[in-house]
Amino acid sequence: MADSDGEFQGDDASDDEFGHQGTSGTQPGARGQSGQNKPRKGGRKSARAAWEDIQRSWDAVVEGADGTLAGTIEGLAEAEKRARLLKDTTPLQRGIIRHLVLVLDMSFAMQEKDMLPSRHELSMAYASEFVREYFEQNPISQLAIIAMRDGIAVRISDMSGNPADHLEKLQTWVKQESQGNPSLQNALEMCRGALFHTPSHGTREVLIVYGALMSSDPGDIHETINSLIKDRIHVSIVGLAAQVAICEELCSKTNSGDKSGYNIALHEQHFRELMLAITTPPATRAQEQSNASLLMMGFPSRTLAAGDSIHYCACHNRPTREGYACTRCGSRVCRLPAECPGCGLTLILSTHLARSYHHLFPLRNWVEVPWSEARRSRACYSCLAPFPEVPSSRAGAKGKGKEDRAAPAPVVKGLSESGRYACEVCNNHFCIDCDLFAHEVLHNCPGCQSDTRGVGNENGDRDATNGNAMEIDS
Amino acid sequence: MNRIDASDHYDESSFAAQTPSLLTIVIDTNPRAWAALHHVLPISKAIANILVFVNAHLAFGNDNQVAVLAAHTNRAVWLYPKSPNPDGGSYGRGQDVHMSGVEPELGTSANKYPQFAQIETSILTSLRALIDSTTAADLNPTTLISGALTIALSHIHKTSLAFEPPKTSTDPANPTTAAALTSSSTATPNLHARILVLSVSDSEPAQYIPTMNAVFAASHARIPLDTITLHGTPTFLQQAAFITGGTYLSAAANPRGLLSYLMFGFLADADARRSLVAPTQDSVDFRAACFCHRDVVDTGFVCSVCLSIFCGVPDGAECLTCGTRLALGAYGAKPAVVPRKRKKKKIARVNGSGGGEDTGSATGTPVPP
Repeated sequence: MADSDGEFQGDDASDDEFGHQGTSGTQPGARGQSGQNKPRKGGRKSARAAWEDIQRSWDAVVEGADGTLAGTIEGLAEAEKRARLLKDTTPLQRGIIRHLVLVLDMSFAMQEKDMLPSRHELSMAYASEFVREYFEQNPISQLAIIAMRDGIAVRISDMSGNPADHLEKLQTWVKQESQGNPSLQNALEMCRGALFHTPSHGTREVLIVYGALMSSDPGDIHETINSLIKDRIHVSIVGLAAQVAICEELCSKTNSGDKSGYNIALHEQHFRELMLAITTPPATRAQEQSNASLLMMGFPSRTLAAGDSIHYCACHNRPTREGYACTRCGSRVCRLPAECPGCGLTLILSTHLARSYHHLFPLRNWVEVPWSEARRSRACYSCLAPFPEVPSSRAGAKGKGKEDRAAPAPVVKGLSESGRYACEVCNNHFCIDCDLFAHEVLHNCPGCQSDTRGVGNENGDRDATNGNAMEIDS
Repeated sequence: MNRIDASDHYDESSFAAQTPSLLTIVIDTNPRAWAALHHVLPISKAIANILVFVNAHLAFGNDNQVAVLAAHTNRAVWLYPKSPNPDGGSYGRGQDVHMSGVEPELGTSANKYPQFAQIETSILTSLRALIDSTTAADLNPTTLISGALTIALSHIHKTSLAFEPPKTSTDPANPTTAAALTSSSTATPNLHARILVLSVSDSEPAQYIPTMNAVFAASHARIPLDTITLHGTPTFLQQAAFITGGTYLSAAANPRGLLSYLMFGFLADADARRSLVAPTQDSVDFRAACFCHRDVVDTGFVCSVCLSIFCGVPDGAECLTCGTRLALGAYGAKPAVVPRKRKKKKIARVNGSGGGEDTGSATGTPVPP
C-alpha cells in the first residue's frame, strides 16, 4: 500500500495547509482532492499535488487605502463565512430517514499528534459532536458506532435513535488507548450486519474516520465491496493522513462512481467540517426512488403519572413519573423517539418531523446589495446592527462605483460591498451574521416571516418551492 | 446592543462575575383578543405591568438588557430598541413624524431613572404607532408569532456574538479544538438570553413549520422560550416551552394577576432557575395534524420521502404532497381469509374509501399497475 509514499505526501500537504488555512478557505475539499492524485499512477492526468501550487496567505492581502490591513482581514473573514453559505438551494429529495454506521479508527495510527491534542482525542470529540448534530438534523434516523482496533471491529454502540445512548457509550471509550491495526474489511462486514435488517425506505450509510494508511484484512476486500454494493450501502470516508487507493475505490464504487465521498482532512477545522457535512441528509438518487414507503407512526402526548404514583417505563424498566404512552398498545416509554417495546410501533414527536422539514424546503440564498441600493436601509432588519454608511462619493457617480466594485470583487467572491444582504422575496436587508444564522440555524427569513402584508405571503412561497421539488422528483 | 445601558461594560472587572442577561419580550398585540380581554385587563394595564417587569429585570444587574417586540396580526415590529430603518414606506408614513415629535418630551423626567424612562417612551410610542396604523383590514384571528420569534432569535444571536471573547477568530486551530473538547461539559455562555411570549391568541397551523424552525434554533442555542398566555391556547408555544426547557404558564383564569405571574414565574434567569422549582406542565399535547383532513391524530401514516402525515392510507397509496407512489409495507394488511359466499358490499365500500381508522382498512397492499 505504498506506505511511505503516501505518508510523505500527506504530511507535506497538511504542513502546507497550516501555512495559509486562515485566509484561503476556498474549497478545501477540492484541494484535498488534488493533493491526492499520485503522480506515479498512469491513468490520471494533471497530477499536481497540494504542495505544488502554493497559495501564500500574504499574496492575497491587499493594503487598504489608509495603509492598514484591518479592512482586508475583516473582508476575508466575512468572505469565508459567506463561502460556506453559498450552497445550492434547489429543493432536492433527500433521504430523511437514515441509517448510518460511524466507524472510528482506534488503531496505532490514531496516536499520531499531527492534529492536536491527538488524532484519537480529536476524533472522539468530533464523534460526539457528530452524534449530536446528526440527531439534530436527522431526528428520526438511526445510528450505530463501531471502532477498528487490534485488527478487528469492536462495537461501541448498537443501532439506536437516541443520541444519549451513543454519547454515554462514546464517553467510556475516550480514555481507551488506541492500539493495534485497523481492519477495513472487518469493520465493513460488521456494518453490513448492523445495516442488514434496516428497512428499505431508509438510507444505509457508513462513515469511516480513517487515520491509518494500511488495513489488515482477513480476506479479499473487493468481495466485501461487492456485497456492500448489493446491499445498497453508501460509504464515505474521512481520511486523516493521506489518500489510500482502496478507500477511494470503496467510496466511488459504493456511491455509483461518485468520488466526493472520500476526503482527506487538511487540518482540525477541516476535519470537523468534513464530518459535520455528513450530517446533512444525502440527496436521493433517481434510481432509488422506488423505495419510498408509508410508515405507520405514533404521536404520543406527554403525560404525568396521576397523583404520587410512579410508573415503570417499558423501555429501560426504570421508574419515572413522566412518560409517553404508546398510542396503539399503551406501553409507557420514557424518551422519544423510540420503538414501542410492546408492539413495535415507531413513536416520535411530531416536532421531530418538523425538524426535518427545513431540508426539504431550504431557505433561498440571499443576494449581495450594491451601494446603489444600500440607501434603503440603515441597520440590519432583524438584529438592528447598524450598517456602514453609504459613502457620499458613491451615491451619485455611477462610473466610480463600478470602478470600486471591480477592485474587491475578484478577491472575495460573494461578499457584499455594502455589508448588506437582501432576501429576494421580502427585499429586506440583513447583516452577514444574520445571513449565516438564518441559513444555518434558523432556516427562516426574518423578513418574510414578520410581514405578510406584501405580495404572496410566506405560504405561497413554500408552495412554490414545494412545487419545484415535485417537478424535480417526477 | 451594548448601548442599551449607558454604562461601559468592560471596566468593572470586579463585577464581571454576573453574566449579563438579555430578556426578549414578545407581546402579542392581537386587537381582537385584547378587545375580548378589555373588561378584565385592558392592554394599557398589561403594558404597565410589563414595564414594571422589565424594570425589575434591568434592576437585577447592571449588564442586563431588554428587547421588546410586538407580534401583530400581519407583522412583527420592534418596540424597543427601535429600528433605525426608514421602513420603506410599508406602514404609516406619518408614524415617523409622530414618533420624533413625542420622543424628546417624554424622554427626560427628573423623577425617573433615565434608562427606564427611555425604554418606556420607546415602547409606548412604537406601540401607539402600531395601533394607529392598524386598519380594519388587518384584523386576523392570529398573530405572527413565528416572525417575532425569528427576529428575536437573530437579535439574540447578534448580541451574544458581541459578548463572545474576540479570541476565536484569530487562531483557528487551537480554540476550536479546545471548544470541541469542552463543549460536552457546557462552556459557560457569555450571555443568558431568554424569550418571553405574552400570548393572547391561538396558534395558526399555517405557521407551524416556521415556528418550529425558530423553536429548534432556540433549543440549539439553549435559549428558553417562556410563554404566559392570557387568552386562547397556543399549542405551538406550549410545545416550544417544553422543547426549549422554558416555562409555560396559563394566566387565562386570572389575567388581572399578570404582574404576579410575571414576577414569580419568569423573572429568574437561566442561572437562578437551576436553584428554583419552576412551574411545570402536566401534559403536553404532541399529537399531530394530518395533512389530508387537518384532523388531529395520534397514530398516523408518514410518507418516507416528504414526511407528510396522513390519517389513513391515501387513495392509491400515493402521497398527496409529493406524489410519490408509496409501498405500504405490512401495515393495515390482514391475514388472508377464505372469501365467504355472502357479499358484504356496504362494509367493503366503507373500508375502501380510505377513511379514518388505520387498522380498519381492509384494502390490503395495492398491486402496482
